Parts: sequence; C-alpha cells; structure tokens
Amino acid sequence: MRVNFNSGPPAKPLELRLPAIPLRQTVELVHIDLPADQAEPLLERGVLPGCKICPVRSSPSGDPIISIDGSLIALRRETAACLCVRLLSATGVAGVTQLQEAS
Amino acid sequence: MGQAHCEGEGPESGVALLDADGAPLVALIGPPNSGKTTLFNRLTGLRQKVANYPGVTVEKHVGRVEVDGDRVIDLVDLPGVHGFSARSLDEKVTRDVLEGRMPGLRAPDALVLIVDSTRLESQLMLVEPVLELDLPTLLVLNMSDELDARGGRVDDDVLARRLGVRIARTDARDGKGVEGVRAFLGGVQRREAAPSGRVVTNVPRGTPLPMMDAFTQRRHRVREVVREAGFVPPGPSAASERLDSICLHRVWGPLVFFAVVVLVFQSIFTWATPLIDGVDALVSSSGEWVSAALPDSWFRSLLIDGVWAGVGSVVVFLPQILILFLFLGILEDSGYMARAAVIADRMMCRVGLQGRAFLPLLSGYACAVPAILAARTVDDERDRLATIFVTPFMTCSARLPVYALLIAAFIPERQLLGPVLGQRAAVLLGLYGLGIVAAVGTAFLLKRTLLKAKPSSFLMELPPYRLPSLRSIGLRLLDRSRVFLRRAGTIIFAVAIVLWTLTQFPRVDGGPPPIDDSALGRSGQLIEPLIEPLGFDWRIGVGLVTSLAAREVIVGTLGTIYGVEDATDTSLGLQDALRQDLTLGAAIGLLVFFVFALQCMSTVAVMRRETAGWKWPVLQFSYMLLLAYVGAFVAVRVF
Repeated sequence: MRVNFNSGPPAKPLELRLPAIPLRQTVELVHIDLPADQAEPLLERGVLPGCKICPVRSSPSGDPIISIDGSLIALRRETAACLCVRLLSATGVAGVTQLQEAS
Repeated sequence: MGQAHCEGEGPESGVALLDADGAPLVALIGPPNSGKTTLFNRLTGLRQKVANYPGVTVEKHVGRVEVDGDRVIDLVDLPGVHGFSARSLDEKVTRDVLEGRMPGLRAPDALVLIVDSTRLESQLMLVEPVLELDLPTLLVLNMSDELDARGGRVDDDVLARRLGVRIARTDARDGKGVEGVRAFLGGVQRREAAPSGRVVTNVPRGTPLPMMDAFTQRRHRVREVVREAGFVPPGPSAASERLDSICLHRVWGPLVFFAVVVLVFQSIFTWATPLIDGVDALVSSSGEWVSAALPDSWFRSLLIDGVWAGVGSVVVFLPQILILFLFLGILEDSGYMARAAVIADRMMCRVGLQGRAFLPLLSGYACAVPAILAARTVDDERDRLATIFVTPFMTCSARLPVYALLIAAFIPERQLLGPVLGQRAAVLLGLYGLGIVAAVGTAFLLKRTLLKAKPSSFLMELPPYRLPSLRSIGLRLLDRSRVFLRRAGTIIFAVAIVLWTLTQFPRVDGGPPPIDDSALGRSGQLIEPLIEPLGFDWRIGVGLVTSLAAREVIVGTLGTIYGVEDATDTSLGLQDALRQDLTLGAAIGLLVFFVFALQCMSTVAVMRRETAGWKWPVLQFSYMLLLAYVGAFVAVRVF
C-alpha cells in the first residue's frame, strides 16, 4: 500500500465526471466506469486511476482532448463521461498519487 | 550445422532469405508515432524488403544493416503498438514475432525499443513486458532534441541502470545519434539455444491481480524509475498548441480540413500535368525510336501497338499517383492526419462507423488492399466488417488513370472559382464525393441491417506536429513507384500482349483483320448488348472485362485497341479516339461506373482472406456491380 498525501476531503469522489471539468483544470482520475476490455486501450495509454488529466481543448464537434503526461489524447464525450475524477486539493497536487481501488 | 537452425520452422517456409547466412535478427518495437519507421529507414536505407507475414497480411518490413564493415544484422520493423493485449492483428503479429512464434521468422536475438522521449512516462509502459523477454535490449530515446528544446530532461545513466538496458539518444529524423544504435547492433550475437516459453503480455506474470490493478502497479514502478532518473517532462509545445488552436478550432478546423482535401485534389491535376506531359513525351519518343530501329514486322506491331501503347498509357499516370502518396505521407508524418481523424470522427460515428475507420478509409484513396488490411486496427468485429465493406468506394489511385483520361478527353478546362478551382478538378472532386456518398449510404444501410451493433469507442493519440522527413517520404514514394511499375510491367504487359494477339486473328490475306472482325472485336461484340443501355460500345466492354484484373488496365486496353486500330493514323491520340466513340453522357456514365464497380481482383482476394470466406466478397462484388450499372444507366440519360 502506498502513502496517501492527499489531505483535503475529496468532495463526492465518484460523482464528478470528466465532461464537467472546465478546460485547463487538472484533475485526478479516480475510477474508470467501463468494463475491463473497453478500458484496456485507455490503460495502455497511461489513462489510469491516480493519473492527472487535463482537458486542454475540445474538438470542433465538442469532444474532449485531454493532456496526460505530455501526450494529447482525443476521446469521445461518451468515453469521457465514464471517467470519474476528483479535484486536486492544494496539497494533493504535490503528493504521491494514490493507488485507487478499481472496479 | 547450426547455420540452418531456425526455431521450429524449416528454412523453406516464407521468408527464408532472412536466415540464409545466419545473420542475427533484431526486432524494432515501439508505440505508434515514436519514430520507429524513420529509424528503420535510417538504418537500412534501400536495403529493405516489404512482404506479408505468412497467413496474415500485415506488412512485414525487414532490412539489412551493415555494422563494422563486413558484419550484417537483419532488422525487422514491427507494427507500432501500445500494449500486448493482442486485441488488434497488429498487436498479435508483434507479440508472435517477439515470442518467436511467427512461422518463417526466427525469434529475435535482440530488441530495440524506441520511445518518444517527450512522452517518456506513458511510452515506458511498454518497457516492462519487453524486458520480461530477457533479451539484450536497447532503449532508444527518440526525439531527444525536442525534449531538450522544450525544457525537459532525463538522466540516461540512471535510467539505464534502473531498467538494466543500454540507452541511446537519437533524433531519427535528421539521423543524429543513429551511430549509437548501430554500435548496439554491432554487438548483437546470434543466440544458438532456442529460448523457450517466452510470453509477452500486458499483465505482468505471476500477478493474480485484476487487470486494472496490474496496470496501475506497473505504472507506479515506471513513475518511480523516471522520477529517480530525474525526468522533467517537456513544457507544452507552443508551436503545436498554436497549430491546434487553428486545426481543431470550431470554425477554422473543418475549413482547414476541407482546404487540405481541395489542395490535394487540385494539385493532382495542376502540378501533375507538366510531369505527365514529360513522361508521355518520353514514352512516345522512345516508341518512335524503337519503331524506327526495327524492321516492319509482326514483332514491331506487337511491341509498339501492343506493349508500348498498352503499358505506356498507364505509366504516364505515375506522377499523379506519386503526388497523391506524397500528400498522404506529408499529412501522416506531420501529425495532421490524427487531427483530421478527430474532425471526421463525429461524422463517421453518425453513419455507424467508428473514428478508427478513418485511417483505413483514407488509405483507401491510395489503394483498397492495404486499406482493408489497415481496418484491422478497428477492434470491433462488426465495425471492421463495415469498414472493409465500404473501403472500395474510396477512390483508389488505380481509378485515377481512368478518371484522368476521361476527364481530360471530355471536360473542357474552365475556371469555376477563379484560379482556385478549375472545372476538371471540380469534376474529379465530384467523383470522389460520389464515392463518399456511396460509402456513407452503404455503411448506414449495413449498420441498420446485417451489422447492427451499439456504438463503440474511439481513442486517438495526437502526436506533436513535426516537419516530415524528406528521406522517409522519399523512400515510401520509391516503394510505391516500384509497386506501380511492377504492376505495369507484369499484369498490364500480359494483358496488352494477349489483347494484341486477339486483334491479329483471324488473318485476312495474311495480314491482321479489321479490328471489328478480329477475335477481340467479335468477343467484344458478344457482350455489347449487355452494355449498350449504358452507351458503351464493344471496345469499352473489352476494357471493362480486362479491368477486372485491375482498374487502370482499361486505359492500357483502350490504348492497345486504338493503337492497333489506328496503326495507319498515329496522330490520333487516345483522347481523340475516345471522343469519336463516346458521347459526353456515356463518358460520364463510364466514370460513374468506375466510381461504384469493384473492378479489382486483388481487393476481392484480400477481402476473402480478411473475412475468412466468400460470403462478403461475393455480396460486395454483386452489390457494387449493381450500383455501377444503375448509376451509369441513369448518368447516360441525364447528361
């Protein structure tokens, strides 16, 4: 088990989904609400619980483009709606990411 | 004795040439867009071969690298993958080669894993499964110049120590650091003992954890390693962001997309014209020179009226095809293609295809065969079948010679939108558009009937914009020219000879008969009633039959037929001859026919292989033929 430096109380952790996050606000991925076989391509590209995601722009059709570890990944908004995220508290930004229980 | 040794497979299977002289085999792996193919081209140059993996049709690129003067290493460039779930066929091929289970290819003796160092952390997710193979491995940090320029850094020595691999920094695009890779290759020794039981998987061995947890743990290990190595991720690429703010803009994005498409098609016609004229002049002057050098005989007739006219009329379209591939190459290497896929995704989604189908469909503009193979990246089986089914509606480059000939012959050049869009380019665009409409309608129909399914997902990595490397694109163009000319030199050459022979019999007074009475004319007239409603005469009919081999063969066929027919009056070019025989309506009908019809045996063959049966190819061939017939029937009455 890893140390959790996140001290701020995460507000409704599983309620917040990626499409609700304004552009350029970095959030932490908590959970992927997809069956394993559909989640695997995301996992392979580093979209994992605990990682920092930042929606950087939206495509002409309104689908999100996210930045993760310096890579840009385009998603459909249906997929983005399956990404449960939480806002980073002031101390959480510098902290070690938490190993979240998935599924 | 050990020389012929090859894991489980005799040297006669498939690509035995690789194993002939006992050179060590090194596999080049990495995620897509990491610069893998650029490095491969840097190392092997022209000493490379493209073939298919046995059984499957994923392209296999193998090349030879000379190290230390006389030693050689065989290098195989594996398809780019993000992981080893073997979900797509590319991933399956990569896994099989790494595990030494690919028939005809021995297990690699060493590995070169190349990653884009500007995205080091996520790209290193591949490192763990690769290292588990326990082979000598070189980790190549590519695009390291860009990492430095954008203020990122990493300590190679620490990274190398922590991972237990050698590391080389490169900038494959301009060849910087490639010596480091060469030095590693120079030290690779052939392994004599067959390593057994190699497994490469996404989920680490011995972890009974659910997949997501296994990934998360690996991710934590990678993060620790890069942190220890002092990895500072690069700042955002300002240039890429600026370009994206235009190319993915709500208004400008689709406009740029449309402008790029128009630019490509306009240039195919305007830029290619002087080149085509040049090749044309070369073909006809060489024909005249050969004709003058030979005595008047049947052999001269065969050579000039058959071969020169047939093969020559196709070869002149080489510049156009190269320009198309040049643009495709630039779009892909610059990173714009991924943006185009994102812009197209919603449209694709609406007709029931997924965004990943965009790349196969776009490759379909070059050739349906690799496009159908590229459809393997579409992971949902129903989506893949739908993609394969509509791909032949994309205007492949083999249609281009047919379109170019008929448009040049029947459509006068006139400005439509000032200097931006000419009438001929507009007609060409219209034909491309008609193909898209047919594809969309067909996909729509399929997804509501035979291939009903719920919508799937779409993920697209957007690589930073990069200047395409001339060398890399040049090599690809060379490759395409070879394929095109080989086809002209074999299929079209053979068809030209057979057709010429058929025009020579039955002999009349010891000489060739009038073409209408020849064996070719007679058999053409047999099918004439079938195509008469479309306004085509028997010459076009013969062309339609021969073009079943490959679409552009009709141009060569007509070249041969009219070449023989007009042996006395050589000034009459193919275009003039066509103008005498076809009405404008029939010409447009012929164009429409070629938009729809599946006149390509290679496509049918590859479909049969990819769909594992005759059901889909037969259905598709009949469906497209019906569309073509009805389309031409309507066109000839409208125009």
